[in-house]
Amino acid sequence: MTMTSTNRGSKARGAALAAVVPLLLVAACSSGSGSAEGEDGEIRMMVNLTDNLNQAYWEKLVKPFEDETGLKVKIEGPTGKSVAESFPQQLAAGTAPDVIQSIFPDDDTAPELIDLGGEAWAKGTPMFDEYAMGDAHYAVGVGTQTQSLIYYNKTAFEKAGISGPPTTWDELTKDLGALEKAGYTPMQTAGDFQTGLQLQQIYHPTLNQLHPKWQTAVADDRLSVGDAYKPAFQMYADWIEAGYIGKSDVGLSPSQADGNFTAGKVGLYTNGSWFAASLDKAGDLPFEVGVFSPPAAEGQAYPGPQGATMANPYMIRKGIGDEDGAKQLVEYLVTDAKAVEAQLGSDGVFRKGAESKQSGVDAQIQGILDDAPALVAVGEGQGNVRLPVTGFNPKFTEVAQSLYTGAGPADAAKSIDQWVDENR
Amino acid sequence: MERTSVSKPRAWRDLGARVSMVVPAVLVYVALLVVPVIYAIYYSFTEYNGFPHRVPEFIGLDNYRTMFGSDDITGTMVVTAVVAVVGAVAVNLAALGLALLLQRTNRFNTFGRVVMFYPHVLSALVVGFLWQAILGPQGVVNTMLEKVGTDSLPFLSDPDWALWSMILVIVWSLFGVQLILYLAGLQAVPADLLEAARIDGASPWQTFRAVTWPSLASTVTVAVITSGISLLKTYDVVVSLTGSGPAGSTKTLAYSILAVSFPQRDIGLASAQAVLLIVAAAVLAITVLVLRRRAEDDAESIG
Repeated sequence: MTMTSTNRGSKARGAALAAVVPLLLVAACSSGSGSAEGEDGEIRMMVNLTDNLNQAYWEKLVKPFEDETGLKVKIEGPTGKSVAESFPQQLAAGTAPDVIQSIFPDDDTAPELIDLGGEAWAKGTPMFDEYAMGDAHYAVGVGTQTQSLIYYNKTAFEKAGISGPPTTWDELTKDLGALEKAGYTPMQTAGDFQTGLQLQQIYHPTLNQLHPKWQTAVADDRLSVGDAYKPAFQMYADWIEAGYIGKSDVGLSPSQADGNFTAGKVGLYTNGSWFAASLDKAGDLPFEVGVFSPPAAEGQAYPGPQGATMANPYMIRKGIGDEDGAKQLVEYLVTDAKAVEAQLGSDGVFRKGAESKQSGVDAQIQGILDDAPALVAVGEGQGNVRLPVTGFNPKFTEVAQSLYTGAGPADAAKSIDQWVDENR
Repeated sequence: MERTSVSKPRAWRDLGARVSMVVPAVLVYVALLVVPVIYAIYYSFTEYNGFPHRVPEFIGLDNYRTMFGSDDITGTMVVTAVVAVVGAVAVNLAALGLALLLQRTNRFNTFGRVVMFYPHVLSALVVGFLWQAILGPQGVVNTMLEKVGTDSLPFLSDPDWALWSMILVIVWSLFGVQLILYLAGLQAVPADLLEAARIDGASPWQTFRAVTWPSLASTVTVAVITSGISLLKTYDVVVSLTGSGPAGSTKTLAYSILAVSFPQRDIGLASAQAVLLIVAAAVLAITVLVLRRRAEDDAESIG
């Protein structure tokens, strides 16, 4: 009996240990240090890989630089879901690349990056000052991506008897009703990250008129995120209730939402300037696409400020083997006329004074950008205008989705405030 | 005396040989598994962004307080528990049922085993995307329902439906391995006992209950523990099927660790969540083992 018990106990402990082992690997992710250098003469650059910006695109972009300098650029995609997720993980693991594209510095990553503020070539690049952290400039970019755009189907507008793009929220709501009566999906939304992004995009101009630099106001405790966004939550909830936005959209993939718009089923579709590249790729559409800036706040001038981000930002990691080579590469990417032109034509990137070929939609977006009274920080913010929390966009998406699944505007506002308080 | 003096060096040599064989494995185990866990436990008591130049700041139990005080994270714990418990029961019932159907060796069953194992070969990310195309608002199922004039179903757009849809997909992707375990377990059921039951006139259900099920006890234990732990770690399917939505209704603890806390560089909180997962896995394993032991003791006392 004793033997049996002992064996059983031992087996039990062994099996329990064996069962726990795979989970230990999860915890193992949190440790690690060291550094990884590229081969001699090689610069490792992590980029955002998309349908438009694939490996071949990036390799072609850096080829002239390689030919001219003899340096080799190794293009790397993110090892996780995105560059934003992969870069900090690789930093912690000691395997971070030399040059990082598509993300911006924050308080944690800034000490790991080179301040490019002293480089003469960097000073004239787009949004250089807007992305300053204190007096330091860690990111330099190629242009501007405009965030707050509403694409519309001109044929649908004509059939619905709408004379032109709305400039007030009341007009927009009436137009949604008219589009529904005309047999169109009034406003296309989507699930995944896009739910929260679209709601932010459509509300940027109004929010920034009512609360200029609202992220700073939240950081200084002069405003809560819930108070700032409550009118937007109310408006969205009303549209969902009225059937102007499909409740099932919350389970729809963003690419399906794109497809619904390009198929001509939809009246209005909120998206950033990068959607222009998807429209170009879609070829000839059965309707003409129009673009307008979202309505302004009541009593305020139209158009309002445009939510904008630095397009194709590049950062250089501190402590790399070939710092000069990396600086030369970034200088080439953000100042060489051909490299800039290639990037402007690739993914809805705009730059003042650039002479790039523009489609009809591109020209409309350029006009909106030129007419905007100001370019303002979006989401979590950037540079010196930032919220006191990280991870705002995914949480905001969760809250925006709750409006589709039965939560009221007050619940949504309370939920985002609670999250900010917990993570401040 | 002479025998003793000869056997002592031999005993030492034997001991040395044993130790030399065990030590490398123990060192690898400690370095790759025990040390990281100790680090995770240590980090769970600190505020740390994971970067080499930063020194972790000791903050006591703050991360655990944050974890249990946050509606967000406690919500993920509930979702994880539901996925693990319901999923483990469903995976094992499905795998055992199919194993009983496919245990005899013939051409059809061999083909059937390959087909049933196929989902496990697919990457969990691919599984999620595949099922999104099937269950999404404009997926295959809803398109067919609309074509026959029926309302579409909110598989991925309603919080409750999305959770059950996700569990269904995870069960579909996981049960292949459990099926193999049960098939192997069924091969080990003593043929003479089955034959004796048949001669005694036992029905298939009586045979299963009195002979097959007790013989499968070890297999069931392993299958429940392994599937339970796989389900506790559910991450990939969440990423590709629901993205944790709608409104966070399918956000699991592993997703929260890997897609929320790590990207936010909250290594202390992520480590506290990882420690909680380890404890949950240990509790699950020990509970199953204790239950099995108790069942065996009861059986022995009846016998």
